[in-house]
Amino acid sequence: MVSQAWEWLIAGCVLAGTFFTFVGAIGLNRFRDAFQRLHAPTKASTLGIGMLLIASMIAAWQEGRPGFAELLITLFVFLTAPVSASLLAQAAIRRRCKGGPPPPPAPPPIKRDGSTP
Amino acid sequence: MLTLVIVLPLLLGTAACAWAGARLGRRATAALAAAVAALALGALLTQAAPIWAGGAVAEAAQWVPSLGLNWQLRADALSLFFATLILAIGLLVITYASYYLGPTDPPGKFYATLMLFMAAMLGIVLADNLLLLVVFWELTSLASFLLVGYWSEQSPARRGARQALIVTGVGGVVLAAGALLLGEIGGTHQISALVAHGKAIQNHPLFPWALVMVLFGALTKSAQFPFHFWLPDAMAAPTPVSAYLHSATMVKAGLFLLLRLHPLFAGSALFETVALPVGLATLTLGAVVAIFKHDLKGLLAYSTISHLGLIMTMIGLGTVEGVVVAVLHIFNHALFKAALFMSAGIVDHETGSRDLRHVNGMMRYLPWSGLFAIIAAAAMAGIPFFNGFLSKELFFTATLTAPHPLVPILATVAAAASVAYSFRFIHDTFFNGEPGPLPNPHPHEPAWGMRAPVALLAFLCLLFGVMPWLAEPLITRVAAAAAGAPVPELHLALWHHPGLHVAMSAVALAGGGIAYALLMTNRFLHRLDIDRLFGRRAGRWLFAALVARMVRTAAWITRRTETGSLTMIVALVWVSALALVHFTVPWPQTASTPAAPQPTFSTLLVAFPLWLLVAFSAGALLFWHAHRTVAVLLTGVIGLVSAVAFALLSAPDLAMTQIAVEVVSTVMLFLALSFLPKRTPAIPFQRRLVHAAIAVAAGVTVGVLAWWLLVTPRESISWYFLAEALPGGGGRNVVNVILVDFRGYDTFGEITVLGVAALGAWALFFGTSRAQHCTRQTSQWLEPHPHLLRVATTVMLPAALLLSVYLFLRGHNQPGGGFIAGLVTAAALLLVSLAHGFAAANQWVRAQDGWRFARTVGAGIAIAAATGAAAWAFGRPFLTSAHGHPQLPLLGELPLASAALFDLGVYVTVVGATLLLLTPLAAARRNDRETKENGR
Repeated sequence: MVSQAWEWLIAGCVLAGTFFTFVGAIGLNRFRDAFQRLHAPTKASTLGIGMLLIASMIAAWQEGRPGFAELLITLFVFLTAPVSASLLAQAAIRRRCKGGPPPPPAPPPIKRDGSTP
Repeated sequence: MLTLVIVLPLLLGTAACAWAGARLGRRATAALAAAVAALALGALLTQAAPIWAGGAVAEAAQWVPSLGLNWQLRADALSLFFATLILAIGLLVITYASYYLGPTDPPGKFYATLMLFMAAMLGIVLADNLLLLVVFWELTSLASFLLVGYWSEQSPARRGARQALIVTGVGGVVLAAGALLLGEIGGTHQISALVAHGKAIQNHPLFPWALVMVLFGALTKSAQFPFHFWLPDAMAAPTPVSAYLHSATMVKAGLFLLLRLHPLFAGSALFETVALPVGLATLTLGAVVAIFKHDLKGLLAYSTISHLGLIMTMIGLGTVEGVVVAVLHIFNHALFKAALFMSAGIVDHETGSRDLRHVNGMMRYLPWSGLFAIIAAAAMAGIPFFNGFLSKELFFTATLTAPHPLVPILATVAAAASVAYSFRFIHDTFFNGEPGPLPNPHPHEPAWGMRAPVALLAFLCLLFGVMPWLAEPLITRVAAAAAGAPVPELHLALWHHPGLHVAMSAVALAGGGIAYALLMTNRFLHRLDIDRLFGRRAGRWLFAALVARMVRTAAWITRRTETGSLTMIVALVWVSALALVHFTVPWPQTASTPAAPQPTFSTLLVAFPLWLLVAFSAGALLFWHAHRTVAVLLTGVIGLVSAVAFALLSAPDLAMTQIAVEVVSTVMLFLALSFLPKRTPAIPFQRRLVHAAIAVAAGVTVGVLAWWLLVTPRESISWYFLAEALPGGGGRNVVNVILVDFRGYDTFGEITVLGVAALGAWALFFGTSRAQHCTRQTSQWLEPHPHLLRVATTVMLPAALLLSVYLFLRGHNQPGGGFIAGLVTAAALLLVSLAHGFAAANQWVRAQDGWRFARTVGAGIAIAAATGAAAWAFGRPFLTSAHGHPQLPLLGELPLASAALFDLGVYVTVVGATLLLLTPLAAARRNDRETKENGR
């Protein structure tokens, strides 16, 4: 049986997690540039998911299960989030570098007698 | 014993000849073939005594009893007569051909096909089951196709073979329909039983249809007008084949069928009104055209057509006398026409030409062959003291009894024409001046092995011509067996009582001689071109036009439906599916809505946001579907929502599968999209309306269908699976037990389809290269394969593989299984190849551009099939599974089920198929990079 105090803690963690996730969503929407936007999901959502996982772990511990699965999830999230953030950043750089088709080569100058070299 | 007669050439003969052909050379192969034919003949003749006494020998075994197709064989005098003819002339042809074939002609191919044909013909004449007869009938068509097209490098041979196959094949299909109908009417497919109830069957209202269809098959096979044109074109075959198929055996199959079913058809007015005119037309047309043919074999082909017409006329009379004459003439014709074809082959072989305008005066070079040919031709012309004379006399007598006076008149005209072409055959080939320019200017007599068969046949022509009573007992018995009734006493003698038929004979002889003499004045005949006279109205051209028209129509339909537009195909598929649903689903007639279960608040709390998410995604898709990237992402959202829904509805297997499928398919779609422009091109408004209509109809139909299925109370069968999964399948995961055990056969089919689809996509896409829309500028800090990702995947790959093993192992009892595990493995490997580049991954797993995965797919299906087939070893049906829970030291109780092996097959197939699908996309990207590097 989960005691009252622990329940409050769990609820607080869940609320905090949802708050950070929500902030991340807002940030994703509000920021203008791809590099700014990167902050929102990677930082805020990592924190949000972390809080939710903590809540889940506490609940599991209170119910007498080892919160092993949550630990694994944490591990994988911490492993993948930076990688995907780095990939997104690289993609953004790549997009910025790519500027449509190259301009056609300049035509050779026409000589005075009308012939082209 | 009868089975042996067929099986000896069918299995032993073909196999031995095909084997010997490549190793032992022509003579040895011929000797083998002859030995097999002789063995079969011996086996047949051991049965001859009871049949000669008037009985019959029968054998039966079940084959496909549910279809009425059984291995029923029966030999009476008619069958014995034909079978002996087939084997005896076959022996002569085998001997003859071993000298005829050139050093470059592959003997194995020739003799193996000949054996196949011989077996098929024996099957036709010995079958006592209509459907079995049809099977052999089609087999003769196939064997004839191969034999006529033996010199497949020559265009006329291929065309003649194709034409013969199409005409006789169509006839065979119609005959099959007729046979089925006859079986339906008579209640059995056994020929002897059907024939016994001839009169009752004739009164059935469907009988005319059956009759016309059977007759159609017989007429096409026996080259009757208007289907005669395939026979002259089939003369592109090697001459032994012509001698065998086109004079003695195959073209007689149609006549044999009509004789076999004679009691069924005799007395039917319809039969006589079709068979008699067709026979007469064929008789006259063939005989007249034969005079004008400059090709030695063309002349013989048309003469064969004419003689087949003669026999058809006799059968068409529908009387017992007609049957007697038909049988007698089949016998005589087989003797003299085979001899004539072989003579033509000798001339062709020795001079290199078959043109009657150039091959003249051969008597000096080929005295013996000439003598035999003259004897056979005299028999063909119906000259006294030769066997053809007898059947012609009886033929005239029989025509005099025919209902119409035109019959004897046309018979006389045709007989005169046959005298004329027989004269021409002999005169033009062996006399008529000096040889013209020949490819081989020094003809000489061929080996005795080639002349001996002709000599034997010519001797028989003479023997039965001079002493006709020798044939009496044979013909009487055969005719009685065919007619199913006793025949009147037969007196074959050289001189009958005088009558009108003698006059007809005299008129025909004199008229034919005079006509030929007139036509040959100043070699007028040599300057005529009959083909130009008929022009494009000849059967061959009409047939070609018909085929061309059919091809054009098919091409038109293909062009209109298969435009190469994916949109069109998807639309067609959906419209057909919708039509199918609307016409087949038993929609409730009344609009009463059964009381739906009321949802609780907590369900709504979860379901409503999910539903909103799906609805928003779908709505957003409506606006942004032209953005292909966005469209793929939104579809992915919908897929993930359904995965959550599955999880909430206590279907963890489905949820896991759905997630894995979503991951893999989204990556694949993005890879594929890189080949295409980023946006869908604009579509005209009208077409968008059509698209919208189809989409709305599809959505509404699926929605209504789902709603209706959910709210309609129905008998569920899930309790059975829930109850039986553990005791019956040895597993607690009911979904997995259903997949690999209860419905294992379905799964087997599905993984096969998956593998085939992946192979197809691989074959289609391989070598595609991506269109380049823009040049990519690379910076120094941008690596094509980010280091971070590579490191991460290196850590993740073992974990993912471990997970897939875990999912696979627990699959039978807990959520998981081969399918999910396979998808997880594929997704992990996909991630690795994304991180390290496809080129590196390709090399790393030794994919060999997908060949390895193709083999993986095959191995997976093979594992599943082997597991299924292992049940046979225990005398159980395919895919029966076994399970047990043995106690092992150290490991404790080990749940084992043979279904796990099957699941392994599923796993391997899924991994292989997914990676196979990815390979061409990956390879295309690699090509892209390579071209860019080369271009730089």
